[in-house]
Amino acid sequence: LSNIFGIDTSALQAFQQAIEVTSNNVANASTPGYDEETIELNTADPQLTGGIDIGAGVDVSGVQRSYSAAAVNQLNTSQSSLGQLTSLQSYTSQIDNLFGTTAGGLTTALQNYYSGWSAVADDPTSTAARQALIGDAQALAQNLNTTSSQLNEMNSDVNTRITADVQQVNSISTQIANLNTQITQASGDGQSPNELLDQRDQLVSNLSQIVGVSTTSNSDGSINVYIGNGQPLVLDQNTYQLSTVANQFNASQLEVASSTSDGVAISGQITSGDLGGLLAARTQAIDPALNQLGQLATTIADSANTQQASGLNLNGELGSAIFSVGAPTVSASSANTDSTTATASITNVGALTSDNYLLTYKGGAYSLTDTTTGANIALAGTGTSADPLTASSVGLSIVLSGTPASGDQFLVQPTTQAASTIGVSLTDPSGIAAAGAVESSASDANTGSATIGTPTVTDATNANLLNTTTIQFLTPTTYEINGAGDYTYASGGDIGQNGWQVQISGTPAAGDTFTVQSNGSGSGDNTNALAAANQDTQNILGNGTISISGAVSALISGAGAQAQQVNTAQTAQTAVNTQAQDNVQSISGVNLDDEAANLMQWQQAYQASAQALSVANGLFTNLLDAVNGTYT
Amino acid sequence: MRVTQNLDQAQFLTALNQLESSISSSQNQISTGLSFTTASQNPVGAGLVSGYNQVLAESQQYTTNGQSATDSLNIEDSALTQLQDQLQSLRSLALEANSGTESAQDLSDIATQAQQIQGSLLSVANTQDGSGNYIFAGYSTETQPFALNSTGATYSGDQGQRQVQIGAGQTVVIGDNGDAVFNQIKTGNGSFNVTAASGNTGTGLIGATSVTNPADYVAGTYSIDFTAADAYQVENSAGTVVSTGTYTSGQAISFDGMQVTLSGAPATGDSFTVAPSTDQSIFTTVQNLVSALQNTTSSSAGQAQLSNSITNAVNSIDQALDNTQTVQASVGARLNTITTAQSVGTAQQTQLQESISNIQSLNYASAITSLDSQNTTLSAAMQAYTLTEGLSLFKYLS
Repeated sequence: LSNIFGIDTSALQAFQQAIEVTSNNVANASTPGYDEETIELNTADPQLTGGIDIGAGVDVSGVQRSYSAAAVNQLNTSQSSLGQLTSLQSYTSQIDNLFGTTAGGLTTALQNYYSGWSAVADDPTSTAARQALIGDAQALAQNLNTTSSQLNEMNSDVNTRITADVQQVNSISTQIANLNTQITQASGDGQSPNELLDQRDQLVSNLSQIVGVSTTSNSDGSINVYIGNGQPLVLDQNTYQLSTVANQFNASQLEVASSTSDGVAISGQITSGDLGGLLAARTQAIDPALNQLGQLATTIADSANTQQASGLNLNGELGSAIFSVGAPTVSASSANTDSTTATASITNVGALTSDNYLLTYKGGAYSLTDTTTGANIALAGTGTSADPLTASSVGLSIVLSGTPASGDQFLVQPTTQAASTIGVSLTDPSGIAAAGAVESSASDANTGSATIGTPTVTDATNANLLNTTTIQFLTPTTYEINGAGDYTYASGGDIGQNGWQVQISGTPAAGDTFTVQSNGSGSGDNTNALAAANQDTQNILGNGTISISGAVSALISGAGAQAQQVNTAQTAQTAVNTQAQDNVQSISGVNLDDEAANLMQWQQAYQASAQALSVANGLFTNLLDAVNGTYT
Repeated sequence: MRVTQNLDQAQFLTALNQLESSISSSQNQISTGLSFTTASQNPVGAGLVSGYNQVLAESQQYTTNGQSATDSLNIEDSALTQLQDQLQSLRSLALEANSGTESAQDLSDIATQAQQIQGSLLSVANTQDGSGNYIFAGYSTETQPFALNSTGATYSGDQGQRQVQIGAGQTVVIGDNGDAVFNQIKTGNGSFNVTAASGNTGTGLIGATSVTNPADYVAGTYSIDFTAADAYQVENSAGTVVSTGTYTSGQAISFDGMQVTLSGAPATGDSFTVAPSTDQSIFTTVQNLVSALQNTTSSSAGQAQLSNSITNAVNSIDQALDNTQTVQASVGARLNTITTAQSVGTAQQTQLQESISNIQSLNYASAITSLDSQNTTLSAAMQAYTLTEGLSLFKYLS
C-alpha cells in the first residue's frame, strides 16, 4: 500500500515541476534568446510486487530546451550579412543624401563659375564681372571643401564605430569564455544548463551582428569562436582580444588587428557584420567618393590655371594661377625598413584617374599597382629628381629621396586631398587673364588681300611668347619671320613661332607685312575668357573622353547606383533574416496558447494525483480501523 | 508552421515599418513634386538630369551672351549708318567743289564744312558702348582709338575682333576694329590709283579707271608721260615702254589689262602715275581734300590739279562707302546669325526642360493613388493585428 503513496508523491512532484517549467516558459516568453523548455517525464522503475511488476510512478528525467543548431547558425550568418549591409548602407545613403541630385550643389557652383567666365568674356575690362568671377571660383572651391570635409567626417565616424565595435567584440568574447567555464562545470553532473546555454547562444548571436563568426563545440560543453580566416576570439576558456591599429599608410584610418596577428591588420579578412560594413564603407564608398571629387577638383584647377597662363591679365602679364590645389600625397608604409620618402606630381591631368597606386621596391626594381583594379602600371625612369619615375599612362611622376630598402612600399594618392585643399589663390580682379597672350595685325601699307587670323597659344611657357614678331612676304608665295628664313606660303596654313600659332589666308603681295605681338595691358580681348568659359564641355578627363560636366553627372549617378544597390541588397537580406528569425522563433519560441493548454493539462494531472493520494489515504485509514477493531 | 506571439508581433512590426517608410517616401514625392530627390532613387535619371541641367545652364548663358552681342552690334550698326551719312555729305561737298564754278571763297567755305565733317567722323570713330568701351578700338576698348593730326588721324587701337559665344561651338564677332573700318580703305579704284604729277602744266584731268582684264593685269607702278600734247607713252617701273599712242581727250588709254581715261589738254612733259592701291585712312582723305581746297591757285593748271585731287578724294570716299556698306552688311548678317542661334537656343531650352520634367517630375495621379493604397494597407494591417493580438487561451482560464 505504501507503494501507492510513493507513486502519488512522485506524480505530485513531477506535475509540480511541470507547472514550474510551464510558468517559466510563460515568464520568459519575451526574453531574448530564451528557448522554450519542456519537461521530460519517464515511468519510474517498476517494483516487483507479489511476482507482478507494478509501476512505481513517474520520474522527471530532465528539462529540454527546444533548440536547432542549424536554424541558429543560419540566423547568425544571416545577421552577419545584414549587419554588414546595414552599416554600409548608413554611409552609402549619407553620401547619396549629401550628393542629392546636384553632387552637393557642385553642379550649380560649376555652372556659376563657368557663367562667370562668360560674363568676363562679354565685357573683359569690367572689374565687376572679374570680381564676380573670383567670387564664383571661391564658391566652387568652398563647395568642394565642404563636401570633402563631410566625407572626411564620415571617415572619422567609421573610426569611432570601429573602436566601439572592437570593444564590444572583446567584451562579448570575455563573457563567452566565462560562460564556457560555468557550462563546463554545470555539465559535469550530467544536467543540461539550459539558461547558461541560452545566454551563450544569445552572446554568439549578438557577436555575429558585429562580426561574422564561426563556432565549434568541444566535448566538455564549451565552444570555440573564430572570425575571418580562422583567427580565434574564444578557445574554450581563453579569449584572444582584438585591437585597433593605424593603417600602415595612413595613421588617421584605423584597422582591426588580433592579438594573434602580431599587430598586423586583419581588416581584409573581416567582410561581414557591422565591422565588415564599416570597413567596406570606407574602402568602397567614402574613399572612392573623395578621390573622384578630388579628381574633379584637380581637373578644374589644372585646366583653369593652364588657361590663365595662356592669356594676359589687365596689367599685360601672363595670368597667374587662379586655383591652388594640393599635390598628390605619397605615404611610406610604417612597415618600411628604410626612411626614404617620396613625392609625386601630376604630369598629365587628362590621364589621371581617381584610383590610388601602390609603389613597391623589390629586387632592385620599382613596380606600381593600381589598388582598385590590381593592374600593373608601366614605369619609366629611376626615381631621382633628374630622372623621375614616370607612369605616363596615369599621368604621374614620382621622385624618391633615395633608394629604399627592398620590400618597401609607398601609397600614392593622386587626388584624395585635392577637393579638401582646393582654394582660390587669385584675389586681384585685374589678374584674370581674359585676353589672349598675343594679337595679330596686318600693316596698313599691305597691297595684297591676305588676312591674318587670331593667334592661338600653343606653349604658354615659351619665354619669347610676348615678343613682337614680323612676318614679311618676300614674294606672294614666300615669307620671312623677323628677317630670317624663306618659308613657303600656303593659304590657311599654320605659322608658328615663340609658342603661338596663326593662320594667314588669301593672296598676299610682295612686301606685305603682318605682326604678332603681345596684347598689352588693359586689353578688351576676350579670347582667353571664351576658352575658359568653354572648359566644362571640353573632353579633358579620361584621356580626352569625358568632360568636367560629364564627370559630375557620372559622380552623381555612380553614388546613386551604389546606394541603390546597397539598399536593394539590404532589403533582400532583411527578408532573409526575418525568415531565419521566424524559423528560430518557430522552433524555440514560446507559444502562450501551448503553455495555457499545458498548464491545464498539468493542473488536471496534479488534481488527479492528489485525488489518488486521498483515495490511498482512505484505504489506509480503513485498514487501520479494521486492525484496531474500530471498524464497524 | 508554429507561430509564437513574439513572431506575430515581430512580423507585424516589420510590415508596419515598411508601410510607414513607403508612405513617408510617397509624401515626400508629393510635397516636392519630384519623383526622386536623391540619386539612389533613380541613378540613371539623376545622371541624365544633371547633364541636362548643365546643358540648359550653358544654353541660357548663350542666350545672355547673344543679347549682349546684339546690343553691341546694334550700337555699331547705327554708328555705321552715321558714318555713311557723313561720307555721303562729304562726297556731295567734293563734287560741288569740283563743279568748276566755285570761287576761292566758296572753296574755302567748303573746306571748312569738310573739316566739320572730319570732326563728326572722328566722333563716330570714337563711339563708346553702354559700358564706356570704344567699339572701334579692337581689343583696346579702354583707349580712345582715334585722334586727329596734321596728316589725318592716329589710331591707338589694334586689329583685334572680340568674339562672343552664342551657341555650342558657335561664336560671333562683335565689333569691327577701327583699322578695318576707317584706315584700311584702298585708294583709287581699289586696284590701282592714278595721280597727276605736281609739276604738270597742262590741264589733263583724271577720269574713269578700271582693270579691264584681270588675267593680264600686273600690279605695278607705271608712268603715263606726254611726249607731245597729243602723244603719250606708258612706262613700267623697269623703264620699259608698254604702250604708246596718240592722245585724244576722253579716250581710254589701255595697257597691261587696265585702262585709264584722261581728258583735257595735257602739256608736253606732263605725267600721270599709276600705282597699286594702298590703304589710306578716311581721315587722311579728308585732310588731303581740305588742304587741296585751301591751297588752290586760279591758274588753269592749278584748277586741273584741284580737280584731280578732288577726283582722288571722291574715289577714296567711294571706296570708304563701299567698305562701310560691306561692314554693315556683315553686322546685319551677324545679327541674323544671333537671332537664329537664339531661336535654336530657346527651342533647345524648352526641349531640355521638357526632358528634365519627363524624368524628374512626379506623376501626381499615380503617386496619390499609391499613397491611398498604402494608407488602406496600413489601416488594414493594424486592424488585423488588434484582432489576432487579443486572441489568447489564457483569457479562458479561470
